[in-house]
Amino acid sequence: MLEIAVGIILGCCALGAGAAMIAGIGPGIGEGNAVAKACEAIGRQPESKGDVTSTMLMGCAIAETTGLYALVIAILLLFVAPGRFIDILISTIG
Amino acid sequence: MAKVDTAVIKETKYIGGFVIVLSVLMEVVFLFLKRWDYTVLLGNLLSGTVAVGNFYLMGLAVQKALGKEQSEAKKIMHTSQQLRTFGMFVAIAAGVLVPCFNIIAVIVPVFFPRIAISFRPLFKDKDSKDVIDK
Repeated sequence: MLEIAVGIILGCCALGAGAAMIAGIGPGIGEGNAVAKACEAIGRQPESKGDVTSTMLMGCAIAETTGLYALVIAILLLFVAPGRFIDILISTIG
Repeated sequence: MAKVDTAVIKETKYIGGFVIVLSVLMEVVFLFLKRWDYTVLLGNLLSGTVAVGNFYLMGLAVQKALGKEQSEAKKIMHTSQQLRTFGMFVAIAAGVLVPCFNIIAVIVPVFFPRIAISFRPLFKDKDSKDVIDK
């Protein structure tokens, strides 16, 4: 019975980590779209390349933060949470 | 190897400086809570380096993508983001699994660049004002 409970905990943690990483898809698409539009803007006004690059960098970093949140949650679910949950389970059973 | 754009260097320096300041603040908080040991310092060094490195690599990807066609720029950024995320996963996972790193000190500095960007308009306005004054 204990083995089944541990298996369920590990499986749910892995599923949760996988679900969290769905958020990692968004930043890549967003950054790609932003840079594509920046290319267009630089094509129209080549003299503004420095300003556009600077603004782009900040925008991409902000977009990427969402992916980092998801990454950290996934790492915690994979490597930290299972041990804690199993400890709780064992202490509850006694 | 292509020359690195001045905007990339400038922004990376700003982010790096801010990450150092926030890292020192975090160390002080750990000292204040009497939970400081060498694992906090090592975790902070690992994570801070990874955060600044990730920003720099993103800058290089943006610089590379800006000179290309729109569809190719999209692909470059998407590939770069995936590779950087994988690199960060490896680094943070190592920080979480290896006992010589403090978990909190590994995770918190990853978000320091985001905090630095939040404060960016304060410094950006000053720069713009200087240019206008000149």
